[in-house]
Amino acid sequence: MANRLLEVRDLNVSYGDAHVLWDVCLHVEEGAIVSLVGANGAGKSTLLKAISGLVRPQAGEIVFRGRSIRGAAPQEIVSIGISHVPEGRGLFTQMTVLENLELGAYPAGVRARMRESLEYAFGLFPRLRERSRQKAGSLSGGEQQMLAIGRAVMARPALLILDEPSLGLSPMVVKAMFELMRTLNGQGVTILLVEQNIHQALQVARHAFVLQTGRVVMQGPGRELLDDPMIRKAYVGSLAAAH
Amino acid sequence: MLEILSPRLLADLFVNGLLFGAMYGVAAIGLSLIFGTMRIIFLAQGAMIVLAGYAAYWAFQLLGVDPYLTMVALIPLSLAVGAAIYQLLFRRAAALEDKNTSLLIAVGLMFMLESLMSLAWTPDPRSITTGYTATGFEVAGVRLSVTRTAGFAIAILATLGVTLFLRKTLVGKAVRAVSENMDAAALVGIAPHRVNMIAFAVGIALAGVAGCTLASTYAIDPYFGFLFSLKALIALALGGLGNVGGALAGGLALGVIESGASFFLPGWADAVAYLVFLLVLMFRPEGLFVRSVKKA
Repeated sequence: MANRLLEVRDLNVSYGDAHVLWDVCLHVEEGAIVSLVGANGAGKSTLLKAISGLVRPQAGEIVFRGRSIRGAAPQEIVSIGISHVPEGRGLFTQMTVLENLELGAYPAGVRARMRESLEYAFGLFPRLRERSRQKAGSLSGGEQQMLAIGRAVMARPALLILDEPSLGLSPMVVKAMFELMRTLNGQGVTILLVEQNIHQALQVARHAFVLQTGRVVMQGPGRELLDDPMIRKAYVGSLAAAH
Repeated sequence: MLEILSPRLLADLFVNGLLFGAMYGVAAIGLSLIFGTMRIIFLAQGAMIVLAGYAAYWAFQLLGVDPYLTMVALIPLSLAVGAAIYQLLFRRAAALEDKNTSLLIAVGLMFMLESLMSLAWTPDPRSITTGYTATGFEVAGVRLSVTRTAGFAIAILATLGVTLFLRKTLVGKAVRAVSENMDAAALVGIAPHRVNMIAFAVGIALAGVAGCTLASTYAIDPYFGFLFSLKALIALALGGLGNVGGALAGGLALGVIESGASFFLPGWADAVAYLVFLLVLMFRPEGLFVRSVKKA
C-alpha cells in the first residue's frame, strides 16, 4: 500500500439540523490525483471544507501525514501543506493579481521564499505575469482560475484541493486546466479534485470516490469507475446527453 | 440677504467645512478599518477620540506639553491601547458568528468611557489654549486658523499613512483581504485574530490622532464622542465602506454640508447631517464616492 498523505475516517458533518456527511471515509495517496465526484448537494464541498478547517466536523477523524488535523484552524492547516482552492475561487477581486499571489505566501513558513514562489507561479501561468498589475476581478474566468491555483501553489502545498476548477470555463480552457493538473502532479503535488466534469475527472484520477447524499457509495481506480455501468448511467451518460 | 452671499463668504464656509470635515474623515477611516475586519460599527470610536483629547488636555495643563508633541507619543500609545482593548474585550466575541455581542461590548465601552471621563474631567467642556490657538492667516481672502489648518494637514497625512500601510505591507494587504473575503483569507493562512487586532490598533491610533487635533481646536466634553461616532458613520456612508480615500472624502463632504447648514439654517446642522445620511442610504447605499458596485 502506497503512503497515505491524507486519510478521512468516519467523518460526520452537520449544519444545525441538516446532516450533510455520514461516516465518510476517504484517502489520498502521496503523489496521486484523487477525484471526488457526485451530484450537486452530495456534500463534496462540505467534505473539502472540513479538510481545510472551514467547517468543523461533529465526529470522525482527519489525518494528514500521520497527524490529526481535525478541528485545526484553516491558517494552521494551510501552513502544514494543504492548500484549498474553494468553489468560486475565493479571489480578492478588489486587489491586484500580484497582491493575490503575494498573499498566497502569507504563512510564516513560506513567506521568505515569496520571490522564488512568484517566479514559480508565473512560470506555470505566464499570463498572470502580464496581468500582474490588474485587479483580479477584471480577469476572465479562465485567468481567475489560474490565479486561484497560482495563489494556492504560492504556499508550496503537498496537497492541493481543487473545488470545481472547470466550472463556467470554455472547453478549451477546461482542457488546459486538466493539463495543468497533470503538470503540477508531475512536479510532486498531490491533488484532491472535485469536479462536475465527471468524465475528465475520472480519466485523470488514479483513484476516485463517488459521494451520494453524504455517503461514499463507490470507490476505485478512476478508469474502472469510468467503465462502471452504474456510473455511466447515473453521471457520465446524463452529462454526455446534456452536452 | 443676497448681499451676504458673497463669494468670500461661500469660500469661507467651504474651507472651514473642509477643515472640520477632515476630523470626521479620520474617525471614519478608523471605523472603516474596524468594520472591514470585525464587521461591527465600533460605536466607541468617538469616545476614544474624546479620551485622546483629554489625554492631550492633561499633558498640556499638567505638564505643559504642546498637543502636537503629545500626538507623537499618543500614536504608539493608542496603538498599544487598541491592541489591548481588542485582546481583553473583543477577542472571544469576534470569533462568534453573531456580531451583536461585539457591538454591545462597543456600546458598553462607550458608556463606561463617558462615565469615567465625566468623573475625571467633569462634564464641563475643556479646551487647550496655546499661544497660537487664536492665530490665523489669510489665503486668497479666506481666513484660516492655524490649528484647524494643522488638523487638516494631519488628517491628510494620516490618510496617506493608512493607505500606504494597506497597500505596501503584507499585513496591510492581509487586512484588505479579510475585509473582502474572510473565508478566502483564512484559506491562504491569514489568522483572523491577528488581523483584527492590527486593524483595531490602527483604528484606535487614528482616534488618538483625531482626539489630539480636536482638543487643540475645539472644546470637548465627555459626551461629545457619541455624536462624533455618528458623524463618522455618516461620513462612512457618504464615502462607501472599505475605501480609505472615500472615508476621508465622505468626512470632508459632511464637514462642508454642516458648515453650510449651520450658516443658512442655524441650529439645523445636525438635522441636515442626519437627513443626508438617510438620503444616501436610501438612494446610494454603496456610497457617493464609489465608482461602481463590483462586490461579489
